[in-house]
Amino acid sequence: MSSLRNAVHRRNHKERAQPLARQKYGLLEKKKDYVARARDYHSKQDRLKAMREKAAFRNPDEFYFKMINTRTKEGVHITERNQKFSHDFLKLLSTQDLNYVTQQRDIGRKRIERMQQSMVLLDDVGDAPGEFGDDDEEPSGSLNSGSSSIQKPKNHIVFVDNEDEVKSFDPAKHFDTAPELVHRKFNRPRTEQLKKQLIAPHVNKAEVKATAKERQQAMKELISRMEREETMSKLEQEMTLRKNLMLKGRRQKIGVDKDGLAKYKWKADRKK
Amino acid sequence: MIGLAMFSVFMSFLLLDRISKRGGPGGRGGRGGARGGRGGGGARGGAKGGAKVTVEPHRHEGIFVAHGKEDYLLTKNLVPGESVYGEKRIAIEGADGTKTEYRVWNPFRSKVAAGILGGVDHIHIAPGKKVLYLGAASGTTVSHVADIVGPEGLVYAVEFSHRSGRDLINMAKKRTNVIPIIEDARHPHKYRMLVGAHHFLKNNGHIVISIKANCIDSTVDAATVFAGEIPKLQEQRIKPQEQLTLEPFERDHALVVGKYVRSK
Repeated sequence: MSSLRNAVHRRNHKERAQPLARQKYGLLEKKKDYVARARDYHSKQDRLKAMREKAAFRNPDEFYFKMINTRTKEGVHITERNQKFSHDFLKLLSTQDLNYVTQQRDIGRKRIERMQQSMVLLDDVGDAPGEFGDDDEEPSGSLNSGSSSIQKPKNHIVFVDNEDEVKSFDPAKHFDTAPELVHRKFNRPRTEQLKKQLIAPHVNKAEVKATAKERQQAMKELISRMEREETMSKLEQEMTLRKNLMLKGRRQKIGVDKDGLAKYKWKADRKK
Repeated sequence: MIGLAMFSVFMSFLLLDRISKRGGPGGRGGRGGARGGRGGGGARGGAKGGAKVTVEPHRHEGIFVAHGKEDYLLTKNLVPGESVYGEKRIAIEGADGTKTEYRVWNPFRSKVAAGILGGVDHIHIAPGKKVLYLGAASGTTVSHVADIVGPEGLVYAVEFSHRSGRDLINMAKKRTNVIPIIEDARHPHKYRMLVGAHHFLKNNGHIVISIKANCIDSTVDAATVFAGEIPKLQEQRIKPQEQLTLEPFERDHALVVGKYVRSK
């Protein structure tokens, strides 16, 4: 019974507030605030004391290569690798997780592969004439005979038996197709096939236009995805390297890459 | 003649496409028409999607080319309803209402396909032919070769590695025209019972070989390597007929087509 009465009659505890006149000093400090402040102060004092002691007992002969190799600029430590990268790249580097980047890169790569697979014919259509190199029995002969081809190196060599055949070589006749189809590398139907049936008659103009637009968009997407893939692979490499640099292990600089950044090689240490 | 005329119409369309591709601005984002990748799915996109795709027969019999929003190299699926290595399948309705299922052949994965798109003159693989395929690996390309030669033809696929040979055998279970041989291709006497015909090309038989420049000599220019390999083929009494580099699908690869002539 008494406990209940006690509970009912107890007054609320009221904390003192900062007097109005001292309001400019902020909230009134209580004991627990003081304890926190004092602890903080003493820990700082202790650290300072430790550092002072360390400095007092310093070994004047102590030496590390980092003392020479690293520098500061206006008090800020210079990280050499960072200076070679763009701001955006560095932002990615510091905010993204290696696993996430790897995963995204895998997804992107798969997508690129699928897109490339579906755009195979697009690439080669409309190539400039002069892709052939005709050749007689000696393959070293006329590989580079065509002077007019600026666009692409010749990639198709046809071997014939003698010099005369080289001179009289007619691609359309050789491939047994219509002359206007010779440069349609992905499919040069034979004349027989051409006589027999129509091939892919695209008559609907609107449809042709729509398809062309869709393809153009797809091409654009592919290009940007490939650029992205390049950045991601660079990012992944850099992240892995930084991770490895932070770990233990004897390593050696083995020259620089094309950006002028150091390349490393790790000693193969036996792991137990 | 009519066929020819129609053809030129098609060509002009392609050229137009090429120009517009270079033209730069126009499209909004790069994401137009992006669709999530769905693994299989025979009649992809249903009748609406199927209507837009046109299939033209390729120069090489048994191979087809699909045009539409996306372009594909195709072979007719010998086992309709199943993919071999996760490739896309496309079902096309013919004029008479019958559906044919094709499998997409990826030139980035298959040198033969890359050669075909590069415009090789003869591949010597056609319906009813017998093919000895050395280095069959998991049988991805072999499955397409089997599609081409059809039920009348035969493919002997030789692979040394047991691991990839397992996939090859699984593939061959479904395609009865493939005979898998898990043996070292350099010792033809070990599998002569299966293939018959003495070691193995008949006179005037044809060979298609893919050469990777890096694997022969990585220090010199690829073209030099290829030029150096041709005499070696000639030593084996193989008369080279054409040589084709596989850009843009493979870097520094060449496909060489030759003919075996026993007597000079």
